[in-house]
Amino acid sequence: MTQADAQWRPTSALGRAIVVAAVAVAGALLVGDPALVVLAVPFVVLATLGLVHRPSRVPQLSSQLDHATLHEGQATTSRLVVADADDAEHLTRAFGRPPYVAMRPHGGQVDALLAGPDGPAPVVELSPRRWGRRFLGEEKVALTTPWAGYRFGPVPLGGQQLRVLPTTAPYDSRADAPQPVGLVGAHRSQRPGDGTELAGIRPFAPGDRLRRVNWRVSLRSRDLHVVSTRAEEDTGVLLVVDALADHGAADGVDGAASSLDLAVRAASAVAEHHVRSGDRVALRVVGRGRELVGYGTGARHLRRLQHTLAGVRPGEIGESEAGVLQLGVTGGTVVILLSPMLAESIGTVAATLTRRGVPLLVVDTLPADVRPGVAEGTDPELAALAWRMRSLERTVVLQRLAALGCPVVPWRGPGTIDDVLRRLARRAAQPRVVAR
Amino acid sequence: MSSLLIAIAELSRSQLVLRALIALGPVVAVLAAGPAGQWPPWWMLIATVVLAGGFAAFPESAFGAGAMLIVLAWWTASLGDGLHPAVLVAAAALLVAHVAAVLTSYGPGEMPVDGPLVRLWVRRGVLALLGVPLVWGLALLLDGEPEQPGVWVLGVAAGLAATVAAAVALTARQPGES
Repeated sequence: MTQADAQWRPTSALGRAIVVAAVAVAGALLVGDPALVVLAVPFVVLATLGLVHRPSRVPQLSSQLDHATLHEGQATTSRLVVADADDAEHLTRAFGRPPYVAMRPHGGQVDALLAGPDGPAPVVELSPRRWGRRFLGEEKVALTTPWAGYRFGPVPLGGQQLRVLPTTAPYDSRADAPQPVGLVGAHRSQRPGDGTELAGIRPFAPGDRLRRVNWRVSLRSRDLHVVSTRAEEDTGVLLVVDALADHGAADGVDGAASSLDLAVRAASAVAEHHVRSGDRVALRVVGRGRELVGYGTGARHLRRLQHTLAGVRPGEIGESEAGVLQLGVTGGTVVILLSPMLAESIGTVAATLTRRGVPLLVVDTLPADVRPGVAEGTDPELAALAWRMRSLERTVVLQRLAALGCPVVPWRGPGTIDDVLRRLARRAAQPRVVAR
Repeated sequence: MSSLLIAIAELSRSQLVLRALIALGPVVAVLAAGPAGQWPPWWMLIATVVLAGGFAAFPESAFGAGAMLIVLAWWTASLGDGLHPAVLVAAAALLVAHVAAVLTSYGPGEMPVDGPLVRLWVRRGVLALLGVPLVWGLALLLDGEPEQPGVWVLGVAAGLAATVAAAVALTARQPGES
C-alpha cells in the first residue's frame, strides 16, 4: 500500500464491538434475556463512539532526516510531518530493521497521542553503526481516530540512501615522508631550500639572503657563512585498499572489526592525516568496484576519498585483470597497502613495487581471531585444515616481503606507521641499487 | 513451537500483560456463569480457552469476536437466572479483554504501549462500563413485572438512541474549538 492508496478503514476493534453488540442485542430480543443486554452495553457504547468519529480528511505524511551525511557511530533524527490529521488521535511509527543501524526509542517503534492537528509527531533517532551504503528512515506510519474506530495505514514511507562515512579514527603521525618531491609541504626534503630544518653551515654565495648569515661562525672564520636549510615539500600518498574479500565478523563501530572494516577505517584515518598535512593523496581500491580517486588535496578531496571508501564492496575482480595489478605509482609517492595479505595478486604487487624501489608499507588488516566463513554443509575439520594451510601460505608471503625489505605492520591506530615511515625515509636517503 | 516462543520473547512487557488480560477475559466471563448456577462443561471451557488464546496471539483477528460470541452463547444457554450479579463480572471481563486488544493493536508487538494511551483507555473503559450496572439495575426493577407487547424492541431502541445521543454530545465540538 502506498500513501496514494491509503485510506481510513474500520478497525478490527470496531468490527468486534459491532458484532458483539449486534449479536447480544439480537439474542436478547429473540430469547428475552436481559443479561445479554447487560453484556452488550459496553460494546454498544464503544461501537457507537467509534462510528461517530468517522474521519473525513485524508492525512498527508512525509518524513525527513536531519542530516544527509553521517560518519559511522553518529546519529540523526527522523522527523515526521503530518498534515490534515485533524481526525486522528494517535500516531504510530514503526521502522524497519536495516543491518548495522541502531534506533531509539524502542528499536524504532514509537507511538504517541497527537497533541492536536499540528502537534509534533514522535521523533526517532537513527545511528548507522558501520560504514557503507545504508538505507535509513524506511518506516510504516499509522493514524487512529478517537475510540479506535478507524485506522489510516500503515503507510510505508520511503527512506533515504546514505553513504555512511568511515569513522575518523584518532590518528596522527610525526614521521616524514620518504621521498617528498612536491612544491610546498610539511616534509623535510633531501634538497636544500627555504625551510626551517637545519641542513648545515656553508660559505656565503651570491644570492644568499642576509638574514641567513650566521654571524658567530662568520666572525670566528673571518669569512661570511650562512645557515642552509632543507626544503619542505609535500608528498604523494597512494592508499591501496584490498577489497577482494572481507574476513572476520563485522559488528559495527562498537564491536568486532572485519578486515575490510580495519582497511577502510585505517585508510580514512591516514587520508585525513595526510590531507591535513597538505600532502597529495590518491586512493585505489582493488576489488569488484575498482574505485579510483586521483591525487588531490584539501577538505573537498578528503570528503571524496571518504565517500569512495564508504562505497567499497568486497568482491573478486575479473580473471582478465587478476594477473598483474597496475597501480599507476609515480615517483615520489609513498604507497600504503591495506590488506589481509591473503590474495596472491596483492603479494605479487607488493613484491614488485618493493623491488622497483617504491616506498611501500603494508598494513596487515587481518583480525587476530578471524575464523573463515564456511558454506553450509562443509566439513568443519576440512575447513579448519584449509584455513591452516592458507594461514601458512600467508605467513610465507609476509616473510618473503620482509626479506625484500617491505615492512608489514598490523594496524594499531595512532602511530601505527610512524616508525616504519621514519625507517623508509632514512632508507630513501641512502644510495642503493634498484632492480629494473 | 520454537517460533512461538521466539514470538513471545519478542513481545514487550506491557504487551505481555495486555495479552494475558485478553486471554483471561473470555475465560473469566464464561466461568462467571458458574456462580449463577450454570458451570460450563469442560468442552465449553476448552473451546473458550482456545479461542481466547487465539485472541491473545492475534488480537486483530476474528478469534476475538469468536471468543466473545461463545461467552454470549453460554450465557444465553444458561438462562437459569439471567440477572445474577455475576453477569456484571462477565461484562467487565469481556470489556477488559476488548480494551486490552484495542491497546495491543496500536502498534507492533515489540513496541511498549504508551502510558498516556493506557490511561486514556482506562478512562474510556470505565465510561463504557458505567452503563452496565445501570441497565442491570433497570432490568432488576422491571423483573417480575408483566411484560408489555413490544417492550423489548422499545427498550433496545431507546437504549440505542440514548447511546447515540450521548456519543454525539460527548464528541460535539465546543464553542471556540478549531
